[in-house]
Amino acid sequence: MSENSTSGGRLFASIAAAKPKVVTGVPDGMLAETIMLCEASPDFPYIACAREEECIGVACGAAMAGERAVVMVQNAGMLNSLGAFATMALRYGLPIVVIVTNRGALADPNGYDIEKREAFDAGVRPMARVFDFDAGNLPADLVPAAFKWAEAARKPVILALEKRLGGEAAP
Amino acid sequence: MSRSSNLPSQKDAIAQALALYDKRPYAVGDIGSQSGWLKAAGHDPRNLYVSGPMGLATSVALGVAACRPDEEVIAIAGDGALAMNLTSLVTIAGAKQKNLSVLLVDNRVYEFTASVPTPSRDLDWLAIGRAMFGPENCFRLADLNRDTWMRVKRPAMIVADVAPAPGKPPALGLTPAMIRAEFLAASRR
Repeated sequence: MSENSTSGGRLFASIAAAKPKVVTGVPDGMLAETIMLCEASPDFPYIACAREEECIGVACGAAMAGERAVVMVQNAGMLNSLGAFATMALRYGLPIVVIVTNRGALADPNGYDIEKREAFDAGVRPMARVFDFDAGNLPADLVPAAFKWAEAARKPVILALEKRLGGEAAP
Repeated sequence: MSRSSNLPSQKDAIAQALALYDKRPYAVGDIGSQSGWLKAAGHDPRNLYVSGPMGLATSVALGVAACRPDEEVIAIAGDGALAMNLTSLVTIAGAKQKNLSVLLVDNRVYEFTASVPTPSRDLDWLAIGRAMFGPENCFRLADLNRDTWMRVKRPAMIVADVAPAPGKPPALGLTPAMIRAEFLAASRR
């Protein structure tokens, strides 16, 4: 099975196409395959952080050096990171790409995810640009396009991936 | 005699640590005291003053180090700041970043917040550093010289006991845009 035959593989391919200098994250079930592919990639280091807030710091350090950096976290992890995101990524205008699995969608109704999603909508969307996508149907140019947008806007961008009804099954 | 009467100032400890390197490392200072005293110890385009988040310097330094693997990077963290992001030591240890070190300046207070005592004031930071990075990779600043330091494998940690300052460091006088532009230029040379 090729990397591009699964949604996780397609996300990895899109990340790789953006030629990041570093990728960092904290696992979520929907990101597990992509993270393992990143860890195995010879093209960039994957830094496994103990806590999501650190991911924002790592990516911002790379961006301060003028390099592209991708963060992968779950929506609860993004909520953990709002202070760092606001005071570092937004304050310094750093064009990092943050991929957030927005759990608790209509097609993803775990009881423990619902409040995370509602808090993400209430807390994150007012402070940053969020673009939403079906995790089972990701465009190949998603991450390169996100970097182009962030670099033009001189600010970070969040890609919120969710499971959707009737679509291809996401991990 | 008080504990701090024989200790160096934070500014002098930072200068002493930077002098351990043959070539000026990238130096990432945490918000408040560390960035202020880093600048007071000697402004350099390779200084990255983290003026927003508290405790994130170690993580930001890891990002710089990952992107500049042929250069030395040192994160300068206070005890209060590092306690806020202690998990970053776990991450750095796991990443085995071969060009990154952490300078912990331990004054046992939140210097920028009316010198309120830190909850970490009784911690053995040397033992924490050795547990994270290995017994051969963590030293007290007072025990180091340049020859010793350059032989230490990274990631590594330096613990500096410093005296609380009588006042805050001089203001940075730099906007985030200025900090970013200067560091970006230095990191591309």
